[in-house]
Amino acid sequence: MSGRLLQLAWRNLWRNPRRTLIAMAAMGLGYAMLLFVACLMAGLRQQMIESGTGLVLSDMEVHAPDYYPDRPTHQTLGGRTGTDVSALLAAITADPRVQAASPRVYGYGLVSATHQSAGVQLLGVVPDQEPKSTVLQTRMVKGSYLTGRMPKGVVMGDKLAATIGVEVGSEIVLVTPAANGSTGNDLYTVAGTFHTGLDDMDRGLVLMSLASLQELLRLPPGRIHEVGIKLHDITTATATAAALEAQLGKTLPVRVRAWPELAPELDDYVQFNRRVTFILFFIFFLLAVMGIVNTMLMAIIERTRELGMLMAVGMRPAQVVNLIVAEAASLAGASLVLGAALGAPLLWYLQVHGLNLGGNRGAVSLAGVVVGPIWYGRQDFTTYTQAALGLAVTALVSALYPALRAARFRPTEALRKV
Amino acid sequence: MRWQKGSVAIGLGLIWLSWGQMSQAADDQPARETVDRVARLFISQSSIATVDMQITREDFQRKISMQFWSRGESNVLIRVRSPQEDAGTAILKVGNKTWCYLPKANRTMKMPPSMMMDSWMGSHFTLDDLVKENNLTNDYVIAASFEGKRDGVAVTEYTLTPKRAAAVVWGKITLEIRQADQMPVRQRYYDEDGKLVRELSFSEYKTVSGRLIPTRLVMRPLDKTDEKASADDGGLVDGVRRPPDQTVEQTIITYENIIFDGPISEETFSRKNLKP
Repeated sequence: MSGRLLQLAWRNLWRNPRRTLIAMAAMGLGYAMLLFVACLMAGLRQQMIESGTGLVLSDMEVHAPDYYPDRPTHQTLGGRTGTDVSALLAAITADPRVQAASPRVYGYGLVSATHQSAGVQLLGVVPDQEPKSTVLQTRMVKGSYLTGRMPKGVVMGDKLAATIGVEVGSEIVLVTPAANGSTGNDLYTVAGTFHTGLDDMDRGLVLMSLASLQELLRLPPGRIHEVGIKLHDITTATATAAALEAQLGKTLPVRVRAWPELAPELDDYVQFNRRVTFILFFIFFLLAVMGIVNTMLMAIIERTRELGMLMAVGMRPAQVVNLIVAEAASLAGASLVLGAALGAPLLWYLQVHGLNLGGNRGAVSLAGVVVGPIWYGRQDFTTYTQAALGLAVTALVSALYPALRAARFRPTEALRKV
Repeated sequence: MRWQKGSVAIGLGLIWLSWGQMSQAADDQPARETVDRVARLFISQSSIATVDMQITREDFQRKISMQFWSRGESNVLIRVRSPQEDAGTAILKVGNKTWCYLPKANRTMKMPPSMMMDSWMGSHFTLDDLVKENNLTNDYVIAASFEGKRDGVAVTEYTLTPKRAAAVVWGKITLEIRQADQMPVRQRYYDEDGKLVRELSFSEYKTVSGRLIPTRLVMRPLDKTDEKASADDGGLVDGVRRPPDQTVEQTIITYENIIFDGPISEETFSRKNLKP
């Protein structure tokens, strides 16, 4: 297609600005709408994944091969002898995809206050390292998160605290079967309580410093159960997990699991959301397509006489087709630019401010994750590009049909049409 | 079609009822008395015992030395003497309440029912095994189910089937008793699906304070090792799967010293006495 043809096509478009603007509006607004939907859906998925993985899970977890999911206390990384934790962390963070890594120790036991006790999961973390991988520290409702200055401080769910009747500052006893079979027991102080909206955690999780839990479980410092890993880009989790497992496996028997394996119900929900998004997106796409096909068809049919004239003065049918396709292409290009220009501020707004759907009602818990109340958008450039290509192809195809028809016109007949 | 289903259900119900009555009828008085007597071997007006517990697990081995005080079945005090890390830990049972003293935290805690069913000090015994009142004759229908020689010893095997209303965890218990001196040989615990879960065997019978008792009790869990054992059928001994010897998980209780019906002061079973 020559430049002259495009130039001619472009000029043709603006010979009837009103018609062209209507077509551009149909397509541009359709594209902006698709951007909006894609952005919101990607945002919802992201928010679900983040809230599902962000509180305690993180994006990936490194365990000893037989540790997960039963979590027996003696199955530490490196077996009975343990491992050099700082060297392991260094090896993990050496991967450029890894943003942060934090060591963890797990136990289960009994938290006992003056009058009540309850069975809980104990999670030992490094107070100034863990917040780089997870966000539990942002969910504190009373008191404060763990600090290095309070080695015997613990943080627990607000519902657990209410059940056993303790406040910030209360003393509690933790009792747990230690790794060597003895009964680990000691006194701790409640440093703070958190509220995540997830009942399991709010009722059954006690967080404490890694060193304190190791002491309670009678595990030496080199024995940890898990390294939680935060990635720069969570979408690379599965691939990174496999690569890291191969890399670390050279020196230490490990299994590295990405979040879809650690939280399969979350992955199921994300896949479900993806399918729902696809269906919704397809409906919006069809709406946009219909608008475009309609305006393109009308534009060509309206110009039957004009095309007949061109052929009467010697334009060949192939040239007519080329001209019309060129017109459609330039129209589509201009419309997509217009749509993107309209959509960009909208997408920016969704990402930065989000839509407040919940009002004052707070977040809701859904399929084990907490969502909302503000629905943030998330840029999904793959879908944006696919939508743009889809619309452009639609425009071309819907122009091609009337163009081919026009090319078959006998000039005399075409001229007779109004 | 509906009436047919109904009649099938009624038929099954009748069979079940009559089966229940049959097993009820099979509960014979001598069997009941024998089992009851064996279950009360260690129970007396009072007892003071020194007990060692040798624990072998996949991930650790340890030996615990304890002192037991009891008065009848309702008062029990257990104090751990060694190893160092658990020394001072004490359990007090009065009636149906149990407290635990934790030396490191220096706190006394009422034991929740869930912890009574957990492994005690890493052993294969639960606290319930050690301190719970014997209710075998109330909770189970007891009948002799085998008589003859096993491993060259003439034994009678009694089968204990839980009564319908009984709140028990086992689906079935069998108890083998030597015919010669009515000493227990082996007690097997089955779950509700009829699967053998654990086995308690008795040995080293000695006369202490005028009583003949077994002084060595070995508890072996048999559910965990099933897969390993069935991989090569070498682990099959008289119909019971046993784990290969190198991975024997077990807890051996040895009575080092036991005095029956000696004097015990009232204060022994007070919460004040929990702290050493």
